[in-house]
Amino acid sequence: MIGLYNESCPNSQRFPKLWLICLLLGSVAQIPLFAAKPTFTTSLDRDSLIVGETVVLTMKFEGISPKGMPSIPQIPGLQVVGGVSSSVNSTITPEGMTSATSYGVNLLAQKAGDIVIPALSVEIDGQKLQSQPLRLKVLQNDPNAPAQDLSERLAFLSLSLPKKELYVGEVLPVELRLYLRGDVVNISNTQIPPLRGDGFTVSKFVQGEKYARRVGNNQFTVIPLLTALTPVKDGQLNLDAMNGSVVVYRQSANRRQMNPFDIDSLMFGTPTEQHQVPLSIEQQTINVRPLPAENVPQGFNGAVGNYTMSFSAGPTNVAVGDPITIKVQISGRGNLDALSLPEQAEWRDFKTYPPTAKVETHDQLGIEGTKSFEQIIVPQNSDIKTLPALSFSYFDPEQKAYRLLTQPAVVLTVRPSASAPPPTVALPTKTSGENPAPAQDIVEIKRQFGPLAQVTRPLLVRPWFLALQGVPVLTWVSLLVLRRRIDNLANNPKLRRRLRVSHIIRDGLNALRQHAAANDSDQFFTTLLHLLQEQLGERLDLPASAITEAVIEENLAPRGVPETTLAPLRELFQTCNLARYAPIKSSQELAALIPKLEGVLRSLQETKL
Amino acid sequence: MNKLTFQIAPGASLIRISNFGFRVLSSVALVFLFFAFGFTSAAATDPPSSFDAANNLYYAGKYSEAVAAYENNLHSGQKSVALYYNLGNAYFKSGQIGKAIAIYREAEKLDPRDPDIRANLQFARNQIQGPTLAASRGQRILGKLTLNEWTTLAAAALWLYFAILAFREWRPSLTRALRLYLVASAAVTILLIACVAISWSENRSSRTAIVTTRDVPVRKGPLDESDSSFTVHDGAELRVLDQNNNWLQVTSDPSRIGWVRRDQVLLSPQI
Repeated sequence: MIGLYNESCPNSQRFPKLWLICLLLGSVAQIPLFAAKPTFTTSLDRDSLIVGETVVLTMKFEGISPKGMPSIPQIPGLQVVGGVSSSVNSTITPEGMTSATSYGVNLLAQKAGDIVIPALSVEIDGQKLQSQPLRLKVLQNDPNAPAQDLSERLAFLSLSLPKKELYVGEVLPVELRLYLRGDVVNISNTQIPPLRGDGFTVSKFVQGEKYARRVGNNQFTVIPLLTALTPVKDGQLNLDAMNGSVVVYRQSANRRQMNPFDIDSLMFGTPTEQHQVPLSIEQQTINVRPLPAENVPQGFNGAVGNYTMSFSAGPTNVAVGDPITIKVQISGRGNLDALSLPEQAEWRDFKTYPPTAKVETHDQLGIEGTKSFEQIIVPQNSDIKTLPALSFSYFDPEQKAYRLLTQPAVVLTVRPSASAPPPTVALPTKTSGENPAPAQDIVEIKRQFGPLAQVTRPLLVRPWFLALQGVPVLTWVSLLVLRRRIDNLANNPKLRRRLRVSHIIRDGLNALRQHAAANDSDQFFTTLLHLLQEQLGERLDLPASAITEAVIEENLAPRGVPETTLAPLRELFQTCNLARYAPIKSSQELAALIPKLEGVLRSLQETKL
Repeated sequence: MNKLTFQIAPGASLIRISNFGFRVLSSVALVFLFFAFGFTSAAATDPPSSFDAANNLYYAGKYSEAVAAYENNLHSGQKSVALYYNLGNAYFKSGQIGKAIAIYREAEKLDPRDPDIRANLQFARNQIQGPTLAASRGQRILGKLTLNEWTTLAAAALWLYFAILAFREWRPSLTRALRLYLVASAAVTILLIACVAISWSENRSSRTAIVTTRDVPVRKGPLDESDSSFTVHDGAELRVLDQNNNWLQVTSDPSRIGWVRRDQVLLSPQI
């Protein structure tokens, strides 16, 4: 099921968005206009209509601002009716802003026939611009007109099949029309199933421009849904019946008695009634014929439609093994996606690679346009003088005949290759008459077995690989921590001194033990005093040389250092002083002082000053 | 004790990066690339005689026999890119486009840049009529490398990124000079990791059904009695969305979803 169309709410309020539009326009005004090449094009909103209907001719100027609408000459069978609509569209692109001015004119079809709207010419700022001529088919009656008894319905579906006799592979554009009676002001919840049928491929629906059409005594708005059918087998094929629905909103029956004091009606517009309308299409039978078996051109590969071909090849002066690029453009109408370049049997002296293809379409259904092929071929020997003619054949369903398009041979200059003989991929060797030679469509098999393929588990699930990814992270984190530590030390002299003092004390204690063992009393007490000075100096933030026993009473006691720390400290200072005059001779006596010193130093380090 | 003594002359900084940093980083990258692209290039072996025999069958145009001979090689455990490729060719020549595509895909996984494999796979795909999966531009780009190659490249980029970070810590004076390299390597790393993630997702969570029967109706439900939604043909590649007993829910594009019987398709990567 599909739900499409402009199912806008009839009471939608757009005014709050005005400020946004103004803002956008204001912004756009700041951007310089991009000086694109000016163009003038004309188009019609449909290419066929019924006598008495109108078609909109749109004249579009891009890259230039016209001073007014160009004059339209008298066109036999068409009459200009109604006013002129105009619009200006600005588009911002990476290159700048482009502006397009469009004028729309309603043309009334007065008589049946094929009408040509001639090319229109305008001169703007000294530049002459010309549009392309347009063709319009005006019918006396609609060959697919719905039955008159449908004219009273609010909405109904009609299927327009241009013909019911097809060939396999022929593309048939089909129009599914949703008719909405004139008093329907809006629709919603449109449920239309896709067109289906066994033996058909069907493209997606594309919504066309809506138009007005009369059925019986009522005027209807027609919303066309376009699609393309392609039969893939022959026989009497059926398009399945379709069943869907749409919710329509029509003007309320009591509209004419609308109360002028009805605030809702005044503010939100005309009151509407809502109806759910079933939609259906009956099963359709199409006779699909197989492609004729007679006069099938050599190399025909199933293309059906109507095509033209252009071709180029280059470079034409090459060495053996050098690539030549072939560019083929097939333009026309048909199943462009299914088109492929036929095998060129005459190209046996070339190694061919599969072509790449690109499709550019010009219509909504994608059945008219150009398919561009690009193929690399490589000459295999220097005896080659020409690139043989390229042929492409197709079946034209309108003419019911096969057509063959041929491009002439291209003269080549193929020099011997300077390198070693290239072809590891050789042309196929014929071994016996009963076995057909392998075609040159795919690249040949490999003769060498090659290295053994090791299908291993992905690296992503191998633990060693995942662990390995931690190495750079850990390295970076380590360096980061080291760097932070160095920075911290550099910016904190107290911390730096504390670390230095702890290092001095660690070394000093070792030295003390050595002095005690050596019974070197002088050095022992000199070191002991030095350690006390360094530790006290660091804790009191004073030079070590300024530390004497006096700091105990002057600095430590006032700061609340406990007597349990001060007493042994005082004792150590006094021992140092005494040792100058009465040196301690015994190693045991010296060694006994070390634990006392360690205790004092520990107390000082732990004391908060 | 102050170790902040890394003073480098301003003019010498970039020279040092280019001489030292790039040498180290390029060495790392080379090692990674060696690992990345060396995984599929194991030591060459003598081809089994049955491989040559299969080739001869192929050249003789006995494609069905060649298929059987190549498959015997595969079952013997000696696998190579050429074996997969030749088997794909033999399938193609015997008219089994679906199986040929399935085998070419396996070969492409082993050697995604082999021009012959890519050419034949593309050629086979061009023969498919009707709906089939179309590879997006992103998928085509991702398909140029294997998952392991993407992984290794991403790992190399990650190492490079952290190497630059570490170098900045080692030489703080070069922080400003390395900023551009850092941002660039971070962007490349993120991009490559995204490629790895997508490639991994494609490899692991995405399964493709390759039609191996001439015309397969894709039904609206997992029942033989269900209406046909559309028809796919031999070689069509479909994304598997779900499984219900012997039925697979498949899609070729958002507008076409339906069910096919399991025995009418080959599943990739579980072929």
